[in-house]
Amino acid sequence: MASVKLNNIYKSFGDVEVLHDINLEVEEGAFVVLVGPSGCGKSTTLRLIAGLEDVTRGEVIINNRVVNMIEPHHRNIAMVFQNYALYPHKNVRENIIFGLKRAGATKELIKNRLEKASRILELRDMLDRKPAQLSGGQRQRVAMGRVLVRDADLFLFDEPLSNLDAKLRHQMRSEIRRIHREYRTTSIYVTHDQVEAMTLGDKVVVMRDGLIEQQGSPMEIYLKPNNIFVATFIGAPSMNMLDARLFPDFVLLEGQQIPLKKRIEKDHFLIPEKGRDIKLGIRPDFFRNEVFLDGETSMSRIEDVKVDLVEPLGFDIELDVKVGAQSFKARLDLRTSAKEGETINLCFDMDRAHFFDIETGKNLFLLPL
Amino acid sequence: MTNRRTIPQNLLLALAICAVLLFCLFPFVQILSTSLKHQIDWGNPSLIPIKVNLEAYKELLGIVKKEETQIPETIKRLLDNPLITEEKKEEILETYRSTSDVFPFLRYFLNSFLLSTSAASISLFLAVFGAYSFSRLRFKGRKIVQRGVLFVYMVGGVLLMVPLYQISVKIGLAKSIWGSLLSLLFIYIIQTLPVSLYMLGNYFRSIPYSIEEAAAMDGCSRLEAIYLIILPLSVPMLMTVFIYCFIIAWNEYLFASVFLRQFHDFYTIPLGLQSLFVSKNAIWDRIMSASMLTLLPVILCFTFAMRHLTGGLSEGGVKE
Repeated sequence: MASVKLNNIYKSFGDVEVLHDINLEVEEGAFVVLVGPSGCGKSTTLRLIAGLEDVTRGEVIINNRVVNMIEPHHRNIAMVFQNYALYPHKNVRENIIFGLKRAGATKELIKNRLEKASRILELRDMLDRKPAQLSGGQRQRVAMGRVLVRDADLFLFDEPLSNLDAKLRHQMRSEIRRIHREYRTTSIYVTHDQVEAMTLGDKVVVMRDGLIEQQGSPMEIYLKPNNIFVATFIGAPSMNMLDARLFPDFVLLEGQQIPLKKRIEKDHFLIPEKGRDIKLGIRPDFFRNEVFLDGETSMSRIEDVKVDLVEPLGFDIELDVKVGAQSFKARLDLRTSAKEGETINLCFDMDRAHFFDIETGKNLFLLPL
Repeated sequence: MTNRRTIPQNLLLALAICAVLLFCLFPFVQILSTSLKHQIDWGNPSLIPIKVNLEAYKELLGIVKKEETQIPETIKRLLDNPLITEEKKEEILETYRSTSDVFPFLRYFLNSFLLSTSAASISLFLAVFGAYSFSRLRFKGRKIVQRGVLFVYMVGGVLLMVPLYQISVKIGLAKSIWGSLLSLLFIYIIQTLPVSLYMLGNYFRSIPYSIEEAAAMDGCSRLEAIYLIILPLSVPMLMTVFIYCFIIAWNEYLFASVFLRQFHDFYTIPLGLQSLFVSKNAIWDRIMSASMLTLLPVILCFTFAMRHLTGGLSEGGVKE
């Protein structure tokens, strides 16, 4: 197990700086997920840790040792590559045990590990096949197997589930989580899939344009996003962003005054008496149908919401709705009988709503006082 | 797509292919035919010998024991003459024992084989590292070096022959056989290296770099990754390059004729063949069977290589 620390990391390719001042701490045994859209620098960060790219400025520290000058093969790291990177001339068995053999493991250990990995990854019937004879998903599992058998200090995963079908992805996700719980090997996992990020990570790091936008536990990221980008990137469907005006006592949304639970003090993020334009962020999952509130009175209410589209999802029901000229989504109880074209009232907990600065996109409530 | 050629078109195509094949193969068939013909059959334009004659092959390969030359009775009687000194007698006998008409094919063959194999092996070894550095490493002056190497290939051998021999004489290599062989070896390596570098470099570029990165993650240093991953993946191209170098050295005449001129025992096959062509022993079946045997390693190389020259060894390793 290893701890990893990135200190003020900058990375440039020629004149293009792709990582700007990355600071990250991964504790021993933690499972950290780097998540962000394509080109945000998450894979580059992973490659810097692996030693496959050189750091332009800053320090990569593994187990309290600066490893900037240490070759990748001396870092004792195992990695799953997004494009599998299997050895085409070796069969599945040889691919999986190659690293273990290089590390000088005994035949007994190699046999046991291979047996276990091939069982978990359902590769037992194809150990003698060459990568070219496997499907994309099978190759991806071989790449996973290559990592799982190793006694590495650190596991790095670069979008390892991106080529699997939905069922296998779900199964593998649980498997990765279970394996991590068993071995507690420090792991850093790159994905653009926020469901993977939320379900796998002890800590989620959201990146954009070479910067870390926010890091924290999955629920922290979900419930307290720093800014509009994090708020909309994490969560599916993404958080609704409604144009509104915030006053010390209420929010004005499409002419409706929605009272705040507590008056915002003057000194807190400077809400003038005449109000301030904001983006009101409410997750679709946090809406409730007024009909099923059972007398709960602490909820805020948006009235005269017009239902545009009803999509039953099985577990719940998703509505495309409109208030005034603004469209947004709401996920409601399956019992909701709203029909397209009808008008309903939607309730939400104001404590779960977010107020974002319209220019900087920052979450006003999370700004330092 | 389905085959949309009509029957006449197919016939035409087959005829064209046959014509090209005939054009390419005829000289070889002619060599084989002549090598198998008996002396009485040489004037016969037919490619099929009236009677198959393998004597020339047997002689060249040393399979048949050369018959002891009979000394004519008149000469024997002459030698009995007591007036002829012992020295003179020996001299006369020597003319009958002389083996100067025996063509040392196997020796030349071995000389050529050793020289070509050494040159091809060293060239391949150097090309692996050179090509790897061209294809994978980023260093200042890489492009200039890369182009410079190819430039060597553009200069004809004739232009370089005299200066190279002069250099060899001046540094004292040309006066000994080992020095001359070493010079020749260097020349063959330098001659074959540009194309070897080019071919291998292009092949290495086709192997995804992430496979090497995976090897690094599995604990391999760069050299180990080359040895354990890159080279096994490049076997077809390594063989191609080796055969290319081998054949260049095997067929080389120009430099060998200059550097080995004075060392008859170390003649290579092309040099030996040339000396055979112009000697008093230039008999058609012998010349042609020697040519045929010279072609043999080249044919064998290709036949062997064909089985292994299947591309796409790196298929399936990475997501396309």
